[in-house]
Amino acid sequence: MNLTVLWNLLVTGILRGGLYALMAGGLALLFGVMNICNFAHGELFVVGAYVAYFAYVTFGLPPLLAILIAAGASFLVGALLEKSLILPLRRRSKGEWIMNTFLLTSGLSVVMQNTAQRVWGVRYRGITQYWAGTIRITPTMSVAVDRAVAFLIAVVGITGFWLFLRRTNVGRAIRAVSQNETGAMLVGIDLDNIQTLTFALGSMLAGLGGASMLSLIPAYPFAGGKPNITSWFVVTVVGLGNVSGSIVGGFIVGLVESFAFFYLGSGWQDVFSLGVIILILLVKPSGLFGSEVKGVLER
Amino acid sequence: MLEVSQLQASYGPLQVIWGVSLHVEQGEFVALIGPNGAGKTTTLRAIMGLVKPLSGTIAFNGQTLNGLKANQITRKGISFVTEDLDLFDGMTVHDNLILGAFSLHDRAQVEGTLESVYDLFPILAERHRQLAGTLSGGERKMLAIGRGLMLSPSLILVDEPSLGLAPKLVLAVFEALKQLHERGSTILLVEQNVYTTLHMTNRAYVLENGQVVMEGPSSDLLRNEHLQRTYISMGAAGEGGFPAPADGGGPAL
Repeated sequence: MNLTVLWNLLVTGILRGGLYALMAGGLALLFGVMNICNFAHGELFVVGAYVAYFAYVTFGLPPLLAILIAAGASFLVGALLEKSLILPLRRRSKGEWIMNTFLLTSGLSVVMQNTAQRVWGVRYRGITQYWAGTIRITPTMSVAVDRAVAFLIAVVGITGFWLFLRRTNVGRAIRAVSQNETGAMLVGIDLDNIQTLTFALGSMLAGLGGASMLSLIPAYPFAGGKPNITSWFVVTVVGLGNVSGSIVGGFIVGLVESFAFFYLGSGWQDVFSLGVIILILLVKPSGLFGSEVKGVLER
Repeated sequence: MLEVSQLQASYGPLQVIWGVSLHVEQGEFVALIGPNGAGKTTTLRAIMGLVKPLSGTIAFNGQTLNGLKANQITRKGISFVTEDLDLFDGMTVHDNLILGAFSLHDRAQVEGTLESVYDLFPILAERHRQLAGTLSGGERKMLAIGRGLMLSPSLILVDEPSLGLAPKLVLAVFEALKQLHERGSTILLVEQNVYTTLHMTNRAYVLENGQVVMEGPSSDLLRNEHLQRTYISMGAAGEGGFPAPADGGGPAL
């Protein structure tokens, strides 16, 4: 294989990996803290994409500001969804909680897709790039500035999220809830608030992904399907509810997809990823980094 | 300080508390003793809002606690060290302790309390970077009590600290509680280890079948014939007066 091809595959894989890490990290957080199987995670990706599109194209805001607004909007949408749907479900649910969250969020995903289609139509709303130019590394190896920045945003998002969970009191409280709810209540943590915040944060990460990838994946009602399923690949492979594992897993899946796409052809990358997942789960049913310890960061 | 009156509560669908009244005053060390299944734990959980009382009132410093959530009751200054400790196993000893002070915002005060907890339990200071899940049974109890103290609570509820511990460790935990009381803490202790408990505490309530059947100064209860017959004679026969916990089946960590 020649170096240029390898380079391109690596760049594509790592860039996708950054997106998957963002999405899967949020998904893992929701499962680890709230035991929610969120199948509407992709729709928050779409919320981020639409908001970024309108902010950047319609209102002509600078790209970074547009992306930040999109992340903020996804945070708000997430908080709203938690307060209006998940919280009442939690109050009423008697057993079968995980199944109930799966049904609720699957339904929510259909509703959100069709609402978007009704309001904005099925038209693609994409951009060619936020930032022009390419960075040349050798005459044949280069990377588009747009992609490099998108990747940087993913890295900053993940790092900030990680530091927030590790270093701040509220982050510690989120981890505490994921490890022992009774213990968390007994030190004075309000579960309702933490759960709303957690859902909002997970949604924000998905929205940030949608916004920063706008040049690769345009905003349209069903754009969330693929990112949703792929982040589910990732969290399944690494073990449900494991945030740090999901970040590593995101990059693994990104690279696997990129190479499978090149060597096996378009459409086969999903087959290949799923094959890998089946193999891993056969050998280690709790996932690559799965363990008995409960917690979103500690494994 | 704490005033529980005519409390009725159920454990699942089964009513286990039938009109319990008790009170704890500032600076007291009060015990709630009785056999397994008498409703001791449910009483504590009802006080903390973890179990919703069927009827009766719970008041703390004149304010009613009925209907408040556990986290709100914690913020009123009551710490609850549960039977299964409810530690954050994936976090370090230090982080567990810091979370104990989650509702406090005075950093200097929190640092000060942390020092005094390490002073009371030097082993926790030694292991402050270790994950709570990797501690031994006795260390876990100390961490749970220490986390409860981080709130600088005006009242501490401790549920069966001797459960699942070897006799030597039981002694160490009781010694720590005694010291806490001497330092001015108000404690309501639930125990099955009747003999030792009555030796340490000021007053005690005896709970049987969900009702208070006896109450009074611990020294009087120690001489009570009914108690002698039912609980103490077995214990006093044991070496050093420490009967092994009834079901020492806690996890060996």
